[in-house]
Amino acid sequence: MKKLCVFACMISASLLALATPSLLPAATETAAVSPRIPDLLAEEEYDEEGEAVAEEEIFDPLEPWNRGVYVFNDKLYVWVLNPVRDVYKAAVPQDIRGCIGNFVSNLSAPVVLVNTLLQGRFADAWTVMSRFGINTVLGVYGFGDPAASEFDMAPPSADFGQTLGRWGAVGGPYLYWPLFGPANVRDTVGLVADNMAHPVNFMELNSSELLGYTSGTFINRLTLVPDIQEEIKTYSLDPYVATRQAYYDYRNSRINGRRQPAAE
Amino acid sequence: MNNIIAICCLIVSLALCSLAGAVDSPMAQLKPTLKSLTDLLADESLKGDVHRDVRRAKIMDAIEVGFDFQEMSKRILGKTWNEITPAEQERFTREMIKLLENIYVGKLESYSGQQIDFLEERVKDRRAQVSTTIDNNGVKVPVHYILNLTDSRWMVYDINIEGVSLVSNYREQFKSILRKEKFAGLIKAIEEKNRSFAEGTEASR
Repeated sequence: MKKLCVFACMISASLLALATPSLLPAATETAAVSPRIPDLLAEEEYDEEGEAVAEEEIFDPLEPWNRGVYVFNDKLYVWVLNPVRDVYKAAVPQDIRGCIGNFVSNLSAPVVLVNTLLQGRFADAWTVMSRFGINTVLGVYGFGDPAASEFDMAPPSADFGQTLGRWGAVGGPYLYWPLFGPANVRDTVGLVADNMAHPVNFMELNSSELLGYTSGTFINRLTLVPDIQEEIKTYSLDPYVATRQAYYDYRNSRINGRRQPAAE
Repeated sequence: MNNIIAICCLIVSLALCSLAGAVDSPMAQLKPTLKSLTDLLADESLKGDVHRDVRRAKIMDAIEVGFDFQEMSKRILGKTWNEITPAEQERFTREMIKLLENIYVGKLESYSGQQIDFLEERVKDRRAQVSTTIDNNGVKVPVHYILNLTDSRWMVYDINIEGVSLVSNYREQFKSILRKEKFAGLIKAIEEKNRSFAEGTEASR
């Protein structure tokens, strides 16, 4: 029943967007000419005497527990997931892994669409829909990405944690999850909601098929994204703090950076 | 009367213009610095691990013109900067330059193409932000440079990659180390880290 509700919401939101086409092309144009550039000078880090202005500390009451999970995750990746990834990477050619990645991201278009609409990013919503249409038809069910390669449409991204943040929800305590890594309460709620709304849930797969799909796409994704964990370990003196700070800044820039009107 | 006001306004605005024109815009000053950096990275005769030391030395000479490493170190250390001796400050800055070289130049070396696009600049009082993108395998990574107006020119003191600020990231890490191990422990940890980079390249040779 809940799933039906989510689905109905998605359909009605999409219809709403379709019903107002006059808004959309104009909005796409403005989005195309002005890339979103965050204002990094907005906050003064130093007062007149050159003293550092106290920055808001990241709320991490569970730090000892989180640090434990961090160590666990590191071992999990180093000893289990990275070897699996490397075997998979050697066995499956890059083109095919790329196609699988495209297919998965095309399939998540409805979730991204709902989030762009909830955030009032109509230009991005239009891009998501256009990309979905082009890639599903010309890209053979989304295995190719002609929207990006032929039409120069970069994929917008949007998630429910970001939506909640834009609506004013605070992050809450920092949480470091086994397997998934850094998050906070808000983004955890977002992640769960996005996963519940994902089309794969409506395909009537049995639990082992679902597990196969999830773990397969998870490993596939590991081969396509840069190994940030490894990079942070190389470059930082306290990888736990570096990860926490980077996560916090990155999420904030995704939430606040998109709020300002692009053209100033 | 109105004419006099208009003339005064004109004179004042002209004077402001000439003042503003005394120093080039932050972007105009950053461009040649980064250009010399990317030229050195693209230089075939300097590529590979064998030429690493020569390449790094040339790159550091080139970017020292536009990067204020002391300001960077000072901001990373926060209020502890004022609590240590000038000798310790110098030692810290020296180790930080090495660390930043390993991080920033090492990162750029790993990127496929070093095509930098300049998007826009913002100036606010004596600070400025120059936004660029760097191309890595077709993905445009947003990199923002934060600059300070010193006596003569705009100097970079922070690099922000996809919303993540280098200065604030290291400041937070150092804060947690300083809390437990004080300055002596921190400087040891940085030296240790720099040694690990040096050993890493020894091993790969």
